[in-house]
Amino acid sequence: MLAILRDLLKYNLEFRIGIILVGIVIGLAGLSFFSPYPPTDVYVVAPDVPPSAEYWFGTTSRGQDVFWQLTVAIRNTLLFGLTVAVISRVLSLVIGLLSGYKGGWIDRALMAVNDTFIVIPLFPLLVLFYFVLRDSMSWLLLAVIMAALGWAYDARLIRSVAMSLKTREFTQTAVFSGMTTREILAREHLPYVMPIVFSTTMNNMNWSIGLEVTLSVLGFTDINTPTIGGMIYWANQHTAMVAGVWWWIAFPVAVVIMAFVGLFLLAVSMNEYIDPRSRLSRMGGGAR
Amino acid sequence: MSGPVALKQPMTPVASAAASTEPVLQVRDVQAHFRTHHFGVSRDVRAVDGVTFDVRRNEIYGLAGESSSGKTTLIKTIAGAIKPPLEVVGGSIRFSFLPDYPGLHAAPPEVLERVRWRHLSYVMQGSMNVLNPMRRVIDTFRDFAWRHIGGSRRAFEERVADHVSRVRLDPAVLRAYPHELSGGMRQRVTIALATICKPEFIIADEPTTALDVIVQKDVLGMIRGIQREMGSSVLFVTHDMGVHAHLTDRLGIMYGGRLVEEAPTPEVFARPLHPYTTYLIGSLPRIGDDTPRKSLEGSPPNLADPPPGCRFHPRCPLAMDICSRQVPPMVETLPGHRVACHAVNPGAAA
Amino acid sequence: MSGYLAYLAKRLGQFVLVVFIGVNLAYVVTHATPIDPVEQSISAATSFGNTAPEAIEQMRQSLKELYGLGGSWSQQYLTFWSRILRADFGPSLSAFPTPVSALIGRALPWTMGLLIVSTVVTWALGNLLGGLAGYYQRNRALKLMGVVAMGLHPIPYYIVALVLLIVFGFVWPVLPINGGSAMNLPQGWTWAYASSVLLHSILPALSLILIGVGSWFLGMRSLVSNIVTEDYVQFAELGGVNRERILGSYVMRNALGPQVTGLAMSLGGIFNGAIITEKVFGYPGVGTLLVDAVYAGDYGLVLGVTTISILGVSIGVLAIDLLYPLLDPRVQVR
Repeated sequence: MLAILRDLLKYNLEFRIGIILVGIVIGLAGLSFFSPYPPTDVYVVAPDVPPSAEYWFGTTSRGQDVFWQLTVAIRNTLLFGLTVAVISRVLSLVIGLLSGYKGGWIDRALMAVNDTFIVIPLFPLLVLFYFVLRDSMSWLLLAVIMAALGWAYDARLIRSVAMSLKTREFTQTAVFSGMTTREILAREHLPYVMPIVFSTTMNNMNWSIGLEVTLSVLGFTDINTPTIGGMIYWANQHTAMVAGVWWWIAFPVAVVIMAFVGLFLLAVSMNEYIDPRSRLSRMGGGAR
Repeated sequence: MSGPVALKQPMTPVASAAASTEPVLQVRDVQAHFRTHHFGVSRDVRAVDGVTFDVRRNEIYGLAGESSSGKTTLIKTIAGAIKPPLEVVGGSIRFSFLPDYPGLHAAPPEVLERVRWRHLSYVMQGSMNVLNPMRRVIDTFRDFAWRHIGGSRRAFEERVADHVSRVRLDPAVLRAYPHELSGGMRQRVTIALATICKPEFIIADEPTTALDVIVQKDVLGMIRGIQREMGSSVLFVTHDMGVHAHLTDRLGIMYGGRLVEEAPTPEVFARPLHPYTTYLIGSLPRIGDDTPRKSLEGSPPNLADPPPGCRFHPRCPLAMDICSRQVPPMVETLPGHRVACHAVNPGAAA
Repeated sequence: MSGYLAYLAKRLGQFVLVVFIGVNLAYVVTHATPIDPVEQSISAATSFGNTAPEAIEQMRQSLKELYGLGGSWSQQYLTFWSRILRADFGPSLSAFPTPVSALIGRALPWTMGLLIVSTVVTWALGNLLGGLAGYYQRNRALKLMGVVAMGLHPIPYYIVALVLLIVFGFVWPVLPINGGSAMNLPQGWTWAYASSVLLHSILPALSLILIGVGSWFLGMRSLVSNIVTEDYVQFAELGGVNRERILGSYVMRNALGPQVTGLAMSLGGIFNGAIITEKVFGYPGVGTLLVDAVYAGDYGLVLGVTTISILGVSIGVLAIDLLYPLLDPRVQVR
């Protein structure tokens, strides 16, 4: 694992850029623990101060320091993405492995449901959720709902790998040695799909963070927990662009774009490393 | 129908006019390497490393050797299918119909478009997937051959239908998609495709490997028949010594990216000189012979780091001291019989 | 032929399942909450102005039916379905007494126009450029495009729309950033109105295209760079087949199938993007309708837009699925 990381760092430009971007974003998130202000307090500094030596990213119309507010927001946003990703990884792993290994009608039934979740437009559904739940819609509940809706695409990927693993000899050996399905999937197949799980984690985080930002901006989440979307929401509420308080929107947007691009580049470079086809094509495949 | 072929058209002018003894193909000391640089590891796989031979007019020249002997790379090089990481490092490949260039890889695209399929065609390995699954068979014929044959679309399609029936296919297959045909039918389609323009030179790369034995025999007969009718030369590559025994006129044996022996096919089977050839022939099953087959010790050489001297020496029963130091030259030991072995040609080292 | 029928049956079955699961999700969502949504909605709606008591009573009735608060559990469920199948979501709270279906009917052409045009342009452009980039791998301009696509593709719709809004609304205000047409123009087949609609659609369409193109570009590029190693492409190259013909009929043609399937698979996501983009640019489609309905506490409208969206996207997917066999001759046998 460490060797792979070292190789990627050394020879893959996309991975390097991705690591740098994600590193900066995580670093910012880490700084949130040193914030001099409680994250939810307002009017702690003079409002509408442009970026200066004292307030690096300026201050908001609500009297918050944009820089420190941003560190908390990006931490919560990343955490949200990670929570959704972890829960939905579990779902897609179980469904993908089971579907691919079992085949037959189990596979058909699971994949029919799976394709349904791929096709259904989730945004109106999430809006409906918020509409009904309103103030009881918490940060964690939203994460659980999104995880429950967002596993399908990756389950399909994992299924295709599981299908090829099923025909491999070691699976037969495991079957003949009397292992149960659960044991085979957990002990024999899981290690092979872990690389995919990692790379899809990045893409899933991008997906959930994107939706979370959108919902927050519209005010359809718990707006009292500071997130990137929440920051933009409050900026819009105070018509920051019209008022010329551009730094209130520009910095959160810049940071979240860094997170998106960084995560995506990590996913792409890891995929490239995992995919035997693209690796083979670069190695030349040797002489025949 | 008796016999597979009865060509009505006269031979093409090019083929009949130049009925000299000059070989159609002269390969001289060709070297082709796979050069890769990936994740910090540079590799130079010397897949073809100094091969010299001729293919004469109107003969079927066989190339034999196990997988990773470099034979597929060699014919890729000859066919001009050079793509990175494969590179032609040295030597020349002269076709009689392309005298101005040292190989197809050196010719410009417009020349290639003129030469390919008109003078040189190709029957590919794994012919199951060589036809575009989204295209009807007749469209594939049109893509490959119309520019050489010309005429109206109708006349062309009639000619194709006529030609296809010569390989005992119902012309209705022309309207079909490849997935609607059986493996044997697809293979016949590719043979009809390769011969429609009556080229002087046909490269056949394991065309029968994926077929069952009955179809295989049929297809081999067809290749032989068409070749005799058209007077084409065929470079026939397969690892299957049995197929070589039935089909080819002369036979070259490859090992580790080099040619180690070459002779008329009956001569190779009757009097193999190179120890590797002896092993290859010895491994063929014979009726009534139940002595156990010897298998070779060791594995084929790693061409990224080949053994010095003769590449066969780590596995050779006759290996001597010199074998690990000097590359044995190819010497015409008997008339028309060349071999590269220190044990056969003592003192021949140049 | 029976193969085609089997394919047809499978796709239709999938369509029914999507609608079924989607509508049931909507049902569960609205019933899994302890809050009394009817009173909540009515208090939200009436707080906007003076509504006649009989109107409130009518709303309460309709909402109760929609929420299914009257009768037994199974009765509630059946009423829910029957209203959805009749597209009868009752009167809108925020635009009383206009029926919800009329509001949606008015907004739908805007969304469909924006969505269809931008999706077709995005798909065609992304695949064409991606195909070229996969085939001519050494071309500098196409390589650069790949880098841009990599940077643009992961950014969500809302952020790109917001950035375009800022750029064209504040930094360089040359394009209209709000609405579907100029305010003072009467609707009709006039040149002034048509050009105004076109002008107003540029920014929403542009933001949809900017994001969408990247994913088709990257997908097609990697697809093509795998297809060029296929036997039939290498064989055609050895056959001296014209390079443009190889690119068109051999490489791109064979990549088309997966990309059309991909379009069907991503239609839901594209729709999400479209309604978000609409809201950002105040475009008068169902997206804006949905968001405003939430602000106004208009339950019937939110439920209506949600189910119509699920239905609309499923129909779009079904249409693509039914056209697919025309593209791939092998489907009829499978």
